[in-house]
Amino acid sequence: MTKSTVTGPLVTENRFLRAAVEGVVRTPLLIVLIILVIGVQIATDSFFGWQNIRGILQDSAVIAIVAIPVAMLLIAGYIDLSVGSSLALGGVVASLVMDKGAGQPAVAIVLAILAGAVVGLVNAVIITVLGLNSFITTLGTLTAVRGVAQLISPTPRNNFGDQFGLLGVGTVAGVPLSVWIAALLLIAAGIFLSLTPTGRHVYAVGVNRQAAYLSGVPVRRLPFALFVLSGAMSGFAGTIVAARLNSAPAGQLGAGFELVVLTAVLLGGVALTGGEGTIFGVVVGVLFYGALNNSLVLLGVTTFWQAVASGLALVAAIGLSALTHVLRLRLATARARKLVALAA
Amino acid sequence: MSVTVRGLTKRYGATLALDDVTLDIPGGRIHALLGHNGAGKSTLIACLGGGVTPTAGTIDIDGTTHDALTPRTSIAAGVAVIYQHLSLLENMTVAENLFIGQELTAGGLIRRGEQRRLARAALDAVGAIGIDPDVKVSTLPIGQRQLVEIAKVVRRDARLIVFDEPTAALSRAEAARLGELVRDLAGRGIAILYVTHLLGEVLALADAATVMRNGRAVWSAEGSAITRDALVAAISDGHGATNERPAPPRRADIPVLEVRGLTAPGLAPIDLAVAPGEIVACYGLVGSGRTRFLSTVFGRMPRTGGTLFIDGVPRETRSPAQGLRAGIALVPADRAREGLFAALPAQDNTVIDAMRRLGSWGLRSLRAERGVFDRIADGLALRPRAADLPAGRFSGGNQQKILLARWVNDAARTRVILLDDPTQGVDVGARKDIYDAIKTLAAEQGMGVIVATNEPEEVVDLAHRCLIFAKGAVIDEIDVALTTADGLLSAIHTAPAAGATTGPVAHPASADLTEGSLP
Repeated sequence: MTKSTVTGPLVTENRFLRAAVEGVVRTPLLIVLIILVIGVQIATDSFFGWQNIRGILQDSAVIAIVAIPVAMLLIAGYIDLSVGSSLALGGVVASLVMDKGAGQPAVAIVLAILAGAVVGLVNAVIITVLGLNSFITTLGTLTAVRGVAQLISPTPRNNFGDQFGLLGVGTVAGVPLSVWIAALLLIAAGIFLSLTPTGRHVYAVGVNRQAAYLSGVPVRRLPFALFVLSGAMSGFAGTIVAARLNSAPAGQLGAGFELVVLTAVLLGGVALTGGEGTIFGVVVGVLFYGALNNSLVLLGVTTFWQAVASGLALVAAIGLSALTHVLRLRLATARARKLVALAA
Repeated sequence: MSVTVRGLTKRYGATLALDDVTLDIPGGRIHALLGHNGAGKSTLIACLGGGVTPTAGTIDIDGTTHDALTPRTSIAAGVAVIYQHLSLLENMTVAENLFIGQELTAGGLIRRGEQRRLARAALDAVGAIGIDPDVKVSTLPIGQRQLVEIAKVVRRDARLIVFDEPTAALSRAEAARLGELVRDLAGRGIAILYVTHLLGEVLALADAATVMRNGRAVWSAEGSAITRDALVAAISDGHGATNERPAPPRRADIPVLEVRGLTAPGLAPIDLAVAPGEIVACYGLVGSGRTRFLSTVFGRMPRTGGTLFIDGVPRETRSPAQGLRAGIALVPADRAREGLFAALPAQDNTVIDAMRRLGSWGLRSLRAERGVFDRIADGLALRPRAADLPAGRFSGGNQQKILLARWVNDAARTRVILLDDPTQGVDVGARKDIYDAIKTLAAEQGMGVIVATNEPEEVVDLAHRCLIFAKGAVIDEIDVALTTADGLLSAIHTAPAAGATTGPVAHPASADLTEGSLP
């Protein structure tokens, strides 16, 4: 299951309750998030409007879909900076198929996913087969793939038709379709990471690659697959963004998106050094990012100050998780000492 | 110059790493320090170097009494420790290394010419005439790096130089040259503390010798009182009384592991058949090929020839994954770097390999994993028995139990387990648990066990049979049951120096540790 932590007498035999308690303890940002939204609600009385919540969820859904593979790669000790450009490529490929509402939405989506997967494949080959550093490699593909997207669609296509538009604005039971999709993918990712052997191997590779290799873990195939997945999910996210905009400007689609995703993932407690992080944390990180930016708008902060406040809040939030991480380690050490003393 | 350690004690929880150790090292003399791993030598060195704060006792250096040293005060007092893993910056030049932290500057800029000139002089002073001060340390072979480090500490006016098994990684010629240099340094009035496993070096070099056991200095002598027999007796004293011999192997059965003509780079052809339940020790110093042999059998290093059979069936082992599929597991010597997932819970560490077999439909069975962990944790007496505790938080001995548990739990499929230096940094109590566990596994499950070690005591405690490795070849084979502890110790300690040069050219010891890492 998850890593050990100090949970005190609160802990019951109930595994789920215990997991919930640990989740909160491990993710202090959740408490900050709750305080933030309640505070903003009191100050503006407009946070909890369904329109507002829906907007946050809709923005968060796209971030979350890409955050899933990015978080997995970070846990395994790799980074993917090319997701924003892969998203643009996916959106652009879909837009070519759907131009003026002519094509089949299913074909557009499949081709967008494939286009993203090709980018992921290139990253995967360079990084896991040729052995280049993932930061440098994806920094390169970040630029190159953006260029490819602009080459194949120098002028933005638009008006993709109502059917394709459902992907961006459609709802099921009042909740946007993209939010449903993100939720399902998050659940699947959560199950994968904590309940399947391969999921645990992702952590093993990130914690100690050499030990994982000697334990028979496929230390190359696993990150290879994750990079392909990262490209594919980014390509898919591109179709959602294009559908919402009903346009696919190759230069602007997903520009700077890699940093948004990275910020949200790091906020959620995924370690930049690998080996650590949970999908629950990613969800909290993504929601916090969305809620923070939304709150600043609601509070009437002007655009430039929004950027300043948003940046500072992010540093503070990451500082907070670092601090609680240290505290948790201290407590865990104290607990370990006690256990050792008891054993002796 | 004179260094005196008085009543030095270091306590870690319930264990005493150092127990009232007193040692006198006058300037100009070479004092040898012996004892098997875990005897307390490293802790003593660490106290002198300032890395460890003693619980009690004092260190007198030239009349100044220190309760504790920090790395900084240790250097200031003139203490220098030459560790096996040298503390040079490999990406910088020899001259830069000699002056690191004490750069000669003019107007804030480094005076490269002057540093180079003084570096040349410092290198010449330790006989390193062939080393260019302008080359990067990473381009030098291990023996020359050691000379650079010695030149560095001599230039910084070291008054006590501690050598930690300095010849372990050296060729015989290099070792002989180092011996002369050590004698020369002593001749200049520097006090030398010389830590080694090799009796031959002690007899050739030492003016005085001290043997440590279980944290205590149990024996010491000077000059002609230092004899091979006396050293062997002191190192092994009281030994073997509590340890049972392993149950006899089932030699009549098909060998659980057989290799015929196994070769690899730096390894002469090796034939070996391990019977079910048999424990074979591969004894040799660092660089002798013992680790290389294990790596080749496991599939971590490519074999260039020969065949390998598991239970009589020929198997390919070209990668760790293939080795594991064939039923071979390796517990590497460097636990932290190659074995443990320090940040993951003990249970995950234990079942990482078994997970796939325990689950169904691609999902893990948490219940089954917990059961496997509980049973093996009991079997190996894991302390604390905490499934959730990150593995890195256990003691060295218990970390080793966790690694062992990965391959010998009831969901594992291991037929042959290869243990590389299994009790390095493991305290006495856990050592016995580990030995008992290995013996039980061999006897009850008919597993084959190969232990690579540089500790004669480990051979006596554990093995049925001992292959002696030197220069990448097996130079002798000893039936452990037919010999006494002293007899074996004596034979083993003599063997590496006995002129077995039949094997291929020795590779530098570092290759043993670095080759066969990730592709």
